[in-house]
Amino acid sequence: MVYIRKNQRDLTRTEKKRFVSAILELKRSGRYDEFVTLHGQYYVTDDEEGPRASHMTPSFFPWHRRFVLEFERALRAVDPGVTVPYWDWTKDNSPASSLWAEDFLGGTGRAGDGKVMTGPFAHANGNWNIRARVGDGSFLTRNLGRPSDPVSLPTRREVAKALSDPLYDAAPWNSTVAKGFRNTMEGWGRGGTVRTFHHNRVHRWVGGVMLGATSPNDPVFWLHHAFMDLLWDRWKKAHPRSGYLPRRKLPASDPQHGRVFSLHEPMPPWNVTPAQVLDHSRVYRYA
Amino acid sequence: MGLSTRRSAATARGGSLTRRILLRGAFAMGMIAGTAGALAPILGKRAAEAPGTADGPAAAGTAKAPGTEPERYAERFAETYRGRHIQGTARGTRPARAAAARRVAAGDAMTVTAVRDVEVRIDGRPLHVMRRADGSYLSLVNHYESFPTLLDAARAAVDELGGAQLSTSPLHRL
Repeated sequence: MVYIRKNQRDLTRTEKKRFVSAILELKRSGRYDEFVTLHGQYYVTDDEEGPRASHMTPSFFPWHRRFVLEFERALRAVDPGVTVPYWDWTKDNSPASSLWAEDFLGGTGRAGDGKVMTGPFAHANGNWNIRARVGDGSFLTRNLGRPSDPVSLPTRREVAKALSDPLYDAAPWNSTVAKGFRNTMEGWGRGGTVRTFHHNRVHRWVGGVMLGATSPNDPVFWLHHAFMDLLWDRWKKAHPRSGYLPRRKLPASDPQHGRVFSLHEPMPPWNVTPAQVLDHSRVYRYA
Repeated sequence: MGLSTRRSAATARGGSLTRRILLRGAFAMGMIAGTAGALAPILGKRAAEAPGTADGPAAAGTAKAPGTEPERYAERFAETYRGRHIQGTARGTRPARAAAARRVAAGDAMTVTAVRDVEVRIDGRPLHVMRRADGSYLSLVNHYESFPTLLDAARAAVDELGGAQLSTSPLHRL
C-alpha cells in the first residue's frame, strides 16, 4: 500500500499531532537515539580512509533516502497513519513559518544558550532529553537564521539551477567536485571561502544541534531530508536519460576505489545498493 | 529490514569505524586523565622556543623535540576567544590554505597530503575535528561547514556553543 508524504504546510492539526506523538514515543523507547547515533557514526569525511556512504559521496542521496525510510518505518510501527512530511525551505523560509509554531516543532532558541523554549520538544516538557550530544546541555538548541550574522535559506532559483545540471556526480566523487547535481545540492563550497550551499546551508540556517554531528536530534532533520529526497526525484524527472554515477565499481587504480559506492555496491548498514532505492513509488509518493 | 544495531553497523563499516571508535575512545580517555595535561606541555615548549607563533593564526613553523627530527607544524595556536581558551595543533607538512591554493592549481584530482595529527581543545575539553579532501576543517559542533584553518574551525565552534562547554562524553554516544 503506497502512502503519501505531504508538504508540512499542508498537514492538518491532527496529522501534526500524530506525527509529533509518534516521534515522542520513539524517543521514549530509546529507538530515536539509535538513529541519531547511526548518523554520527557514518559521518566520514573525504579526507579519511575507508568507505564513505553518507556524506561527501555519490551515495549521499540513496543513503539518506534509506535512512529516512527506516525512520519512517519506525514511526509507522508506532502509528501506521503517520508519514514523514517534507519542508520546502524555498517557500517556508522564515522563523515565522507554521513549521516552527508551538503545535508542531516549536520555535528558535533563546539568546545565550540557544535553548528551545516552545513546542513539544522544549526541554521543560520532559520528553526531549538529548543524549548523543556535542555540547554539555541536554536540551534542544536552535538559532534560526542566525540573527547575529544572518544566513538565508536557499532560494527557488538556486535550487532550479542545481536541478538543471544533467550530470549526477563526477570524479573525484567527494566534496571537492565542482560540477554535478549531487555535490551542488549537498552544498560543499570550495576552498573554504563560500562555505555552505543548499543542503548544508539549511543545517546552517537552523543552527544549534542541526549544525552538529548529531543533527537528527532536531526532528526537523527528517523534514529537511524528505525534501532533499523529493528534490532528487525532481532531478531524475528532469533528466530521464541521466542516472546515478558511478555506474560501475571504480577500478583499483582509482583513489576512491573502496571508498565510494557505485550503483550496485551495497551500502552499510543496510546492505542495500543505490540501484535498489532508486524507485520508491511502490512504497511512498510525494503530494 | 530493521535498522542495524550499533554493533552490526560497526561490523559493516569495518576497519575505518573501528579506528574512529578507538580514536574517539582515546579522546575520551584524555578527558578522564586530565585534559590540559596532554597538550599544555607541547604548547608551552613551542611558545618558549618560538615566541610569537603560539598565538598566531595558522602559525606554520618547525620545532625540535629532544632527540627527534624537526617536526613541521601545519598550524598551532593558543588564544582566548570570546572568553574561552582555545588551543590547537595540526602536525603535518602543509597548512590548509596553501593546500587549497595548490589543489586549485593542480586540478580536481589533487588530494592533499595528510595532516598526521590534529588536536583542538576548548577550555581544555577536546573538540573532535575532521578534514575535507581540500584541506579545510570541520568539527563535531559544525559538521556542515568547513573552514580554511584549524583556528577558524575552533572559533566557529565557540561561536556555535555560546556559553556551553563541550560534552565530556559525546564520543561514547556516537
